[in-house]
Amino acid sequence: MQAKELKCKIVGVGAWGSYFENWQGLQALLNGAALPETKLKGPKPGIIPANERRRAPLPVRLAVESSWQATKEAGVEPNTLTCVFVSGLGDTDLTDYMCKTLASEHKELSPTKFHNSVHNAPAGYWTISTGTMCAANSVAGYEASVSLTLLEAMIQCETEHSPMLLTFYDAPVADILTPVLANQETFAFSLVVFPHDANVQGQLVTARVKQDEQATWPALRSNSDYIGQLYAKNPAAKVLCLAELLKHPEGQIVMPLSSGTALTISCEE
Amino acid sequence: MKIDIIDYESCSAAGVNISALRASLRQHKSGLIKNNLPGSAIDTWVGVVGEIAEVNDLGQWQSRNNALAALGYAQGTIRHTVTNLINQYGAARIGLIMGSSTSSIDRTEEAYTKLNQDHTLSEEFIQPNVHNPHAPALFAAHLTGIKGPSLTINTACSSSAKVFATGARWLATGIVDAVLVGGVDTLCLSVLHGFNSLQLLSANPCKPFDQHRDGINLGEASGFAVLQRAGENDNGRGIRLAGYGESSDAYHMSHPHPEGLGARLSMTQALSRAGLTPRDIDYINLHGTSSRANDLIEGKLISELFPDSVRCSSTKAWMGHTLGAAGITEAIVAMDTLSTNVIPGSKNLETLDEALNFSIKAADETKVCQHVMTNSFGFGGNNCTLLFSRAE
Repeated sequence: MQAKELKCKIVGVGAWGSYFENWQGLQALLNGAALPETKLKGPKPGIIPANERRRAPLPVRLAVESSWQATKEAGVEPNTLTCVFVSGLGDTDLTDYMCKTLASEHKELSPTKFHNSVHNAPAGYWTISTGTMCAANSVAGYEASVSLTLLEAMIQCETEHSPMLLTFYDAPVADILTPVLANQETFAFSLVVFPHDANVQGQLVTARVKQDEQATWPALRSNSDYIGQLYAKNPAAKVLCLAELLKHPEGQIVMPLSSGTALTISCEE
Repeated sequence: MKIDIIDYESCSAAGVNISALRASLRQHKSGLIKNNLPGSAIDTWVGVVGEIAEVNDLGQWQSRNNALAALGYAQGTIRHTVTNLINQYGAARIGLIMGSSTSSIDRTEEAYTKLNQDHTLSEEFIQPNVHNPHAPALFAAHLTGIKGPSLTINTACSSSAKVFATGARWLATGIVDAVLVGGVDTLCLSVLHGFNSLQLLSANPCKPFDQHRDGINLGEASGFAVLQRAGENDNGRGIRLAGYGESSDAYHMSHPHPEGLGARLSMTQALSRAGLTPRDIDYINLHGTSSRANDLIEGKLISELFPDSVRCSSTKAWMGHTLGAAGITEAIVAMDTLSTNVIPGSKNLETLDEALNFSIKAADETKVCQHVMTNSFGFGGNNCTLLFSRAE
């Protein structure tokens, strides 16, 4: 069977990072705006109930904030969206906490930190905060987290005809693990997409899987050092090449997908 | 679109491969032992796969989790089946989807016990491809030679059930001609001490759905299955993925929804996707962890949704709760009844919970089943139900 083209419409975008609080802020930086003087610490998404929010780790708050923004912009009820959450690195602060505790004499773990350490904690907090009973997937793809998640979500959108929330997030890596996982930047990005034939306003995106053993991540238009670092080191921020394509929809971009395939993406103006 | 299961293998404390698992099931011989994990004094029972220790030549890929994946992949015909598919379609046309909850955190734990004096990682643990949540699929791609899209699903204890749903969707769009799905999770201090902190572990062999159950036993396992579109293979196994359901509880990170609303949704979705009614189901392999809450909620739900003719069991007393590998381990137990015509009993069940009344029995039943189901529920309220049928 021949591979189908995958099509969907982007109807909402959300974003959060140390120097931007939303998609508008990120676009300004991509367009060459100067970096704000102060670095933001972390979002405090109001949708998470206050007592839960205090205990919510940074990756959870990042993912929930950017997801909430995208659903607001799309003008849809969050609980109507099937979700795919992805992080290339996971919550390394909690990995660090658990491994340090378990390497010590007293191995008692905090039950809250333990249940927050599951990779699907952001998906869990999101579905709990918004009352979403739809399927919520939580995946990992290391350096290919972005292309694999676009593939997974666009396939689900197409085959099940369901509107989808895609959220990409990665937080700075705990000290001990930086020799293996270098990222020191905070980043989250979300998309709300609808099936291509849905009666909604949105930007049509087409993806194709092709055989390609050589693909590398495309160069960005932006020449900002900050954006460059983010793109190079933060696996979730690889989505910036798609973010630029949405604003400059000429031609297509090719993302590495696996050792033998790549994902080609084009979008309409 | 119809999806066939053309091969499968399972590796757990109840059997290093599917033949050994079948023998343990028939003999009601459990693989659970008293916890003897180095560095852990927790009083509980665990399902350890002893043969993992023999897989110590993985070099930069070494971790207990990867060793268990390699051990499982070496069993039965699964490697042969995948290699044939690669030769037939090309490595880039085969997809790979692994489910796991711990990935290789066992290796990160070990690294932290062997840090350099300046608290940095020592040389042998500089393994970027191992210390990240995608490690299971990165390693499996290396192990199998698969070059198509390779994804890891980490939704706690539903991880390796969801791989079947994702695999079916990938096949439906034609981006691949076959998919190897798998699950792997290993015993490590994180999960033992984590579940202990939640007061969920039992000091005794677990007794799912029993009046006197007092918690779960953890185990480790790997499992694999190969999926293809029906009509594009000779389907010697005669098993089809008839439906799946995926849902969220939207309730709590570590407690199931008190009325099982999310679980209900995943079961009803699987039935409707398969075009079946509850009375069509012959056997349900339950999530059945042996925790007070899970078994009570799941058991009540089964009696509300299914007639008495549907036989149910939990098989966790054989190999323990294998977390991210439980989905595929129990999917294989369920689908294998279509080959063996034996429904496994619910091991260690003596007195059914007085609050429950549904068709669960400790004894095996010989029956030619047509349709079987399995449930997997995970932290974060993440639910998945799979439905397998005899291919017509």
